[in-house]
Amino acid sequence: MTHLALTDISKVYAGTTVVQDFNLEVNKGEFVSFLGPSGCGKTTTLRMIAGFEIPTTGRVMLDDADITDKAPNQRNVGMVFQAYALFPNMTVAQNIGFGMQIHKESKEAIKQRVEEMLALIHLETKGNSFPSQLSGGQQQRVALARALANRPQVLLLDEPLSALDAKIRVSLRQEIRSIQKKLGITAIYVTHDQEEALSISDRIVVMSGGKMEQVGTPFQIYNFPETAFVANFVGTLNTVKAEVVDPAKKLLRMDGVQLEAAEGLDGKGKGDEVTLAIRPERITFASVEEKANIFDCTIENITFLGSIVRIQVLAGSNKFFLDTFNNPFLELPKIGAKEQISCSKEAVLILK
Amino acid sequence: MKKRGHIWAWVIFAIGIVYFFLPLLATFLFSLKARLGVLSFQAYENVLRDPAFVRSFSYSVLWATLTIIFGILLFVPTAYWVRLRVPQARTAVEFITLLPFVVPAIVYVFGLVRTYSHPPLLIVNSPFLLVAAYTVLSMPYMYRAIDTGLRAIDVRTLTEAAQSLGANWPTILFRIILPNIRVAILNGAFLSFAIVIGEYILAQYLAKPAFGPYMAVQGQNKAYEPAALAIISFGLTWASMGIIDAFGRGRGQGATIAGGH
Repeated sequence: MTHLALTDISKVYAGTTVVQDFNLEVNKGEFVSFLGPSGCGKTTTLRMIAGFEIPTTGRVMLDDADITDKAPNQRNVGMVFQAYALFPNMTVAQNIGFGMQIHKESKEAIKQRVEEMLALIHLETKGNSFPSQLSGGQQQRVALARALANRPQVLLLDEPLSALDAKIRVSLRQEIRSIQKKLGITAIYVTHDQEEALSISDRIVVMSGGKMEQVGTPFQIYNFPETAFVANFVGTLNTVKAEVVDPAKKLLRMDGVQLEAAEGLDGKGKGDEVTLAIRPERITFASVEEKANIFDCTIENITFLGSIVRIQVLAGSNKFFLDTFNNPFLELPKIGAKEQISCSKEAVLILK
Repeated sequence: MKKRGHIWAWVIFAIGIVYFFLPLLATFLFSLKARLGVLSFQAYENVLRDPAFVRSFSYSVLWATLTIIFGILLFVPTAYWVRLRVPQARTAVEFITLLPFVVPAIVYVFGLVRTYSHPPLLIVNSPFLLVAAYTVLSMPYMYRAIDTGLRAIDVRTLTEAAQSLGANWPTILFRIILPNIRVAILNGAFLSFAIVIGEYILAQYLAKPAFGPYMAVQGQNKAYEPAALAIISFGLTWASMGIIDAFGRGRGQGATIAGGH
């Protein structure tokens, strides 16, 4: 059931189009992330849902009601900001209860809800503290509780973890996801951090230059990127040009080496140039039995990344990364050594 | 090397203390010499017993207070709106707020008299013209103090957070913005108070029985009382600073310590 619908949304500032042709339907209880680099229009789109920006064209529908032209304080939408935005003059409890006070709820109801929210964010003892007495992570949890206390129809989160350190980011994103699931609230999450988006979202909207590049589950986005932008932005990817040799048999040629793809050549003709992509973890050193998709290469560099070891090789004129899991007994090739690498035909993705 | 620097710091501090406090000490000692041959508070007694002192001081306190209230009501929404919605106008607004430094008070008061002494705006005798004029005079201090206070908080995000929680503009202004620039407003208020309480030219030319003209008359006719008045005036200023400090340290969690000068 569609809960939030964005139809033909565009936003133009002084002749510059920052969002265009944005269409999205979000189901109730769904967690959708807008992922993209700075300036891709993700925050502007979020702000149009919040009412801080009015779309140049298009409509924003929430539970079948058109809220496009409604003021932010007339929409029942909760928002969590990157900069926490807690009111410094109010205690944690007053911050959480602020929205309910505005809606003239009874003191008893506010007190009860504030206690519920404090329990939800595990800050039961901090009700009387001021924001300045809390850590960044605690402040952001309070900001989340404040946004949720009003029982909003949609929760909007604008890069809420960007100002926090790495460990807190990981634990807090899990907490956000578990609270969202527990309350069954629809959430839109803006981030430029692909790992964050992949780990907590039901669906991801990858954006670039104000346009939607791809919408899909984290699994789809990572494993089956549809465009070169998505492929390059989400995860590490080897992208190279290749020539179609036989579209029916899905055969390609790259630097004189024949390659086989599993799909993605529909509509392509012999001799067409395509961009293909292979994830580093899908490339392995070739074993004796392997016959297809094998390249000769030279080891150029080896980088230790903790749980993963990334090896850079030169195959013909193309550079490839391949990832292998680290273990203490791993035998790594020497730099400059001649090796053979291979990948399955399913690992060869043809980009649009 | 470090020790030498330390000594120089104390020397400069001592010179500063002497420079600022010696004239004050001299004035204070002079003010105690109203009785021949003995040190006494006779001059202070004379000043405080003078009904004209109480009258003129109360008059100025009242109009200074009204000026502060009017200034807050005018400048807080203006500075807030400029910062939030029209940041490109900040330079122009800052220039306007500095005009009282550029236009001499005597030119300003003649302008007021000329403009408001004949119909349709015959309000030259109204004390409210004095409040309006004082508001303009204190504008550089009040506006800049408020603006500095606003700079210290994230006005846009706090406003948007409050809006997303359902708050309207008056609620945002009075419950979110004002409490968070309280100390900045106090800074501006006490500076305005200090300006208005001793202001002479506007009060004199608009013929108002204010404290400034009273002090001028005392200075012309008496010897020790003006010195006593100067010390009283210093005392009031220090008391104002003390109040600012007390407010700043007091309910301090939300306070924004912002210097407006």
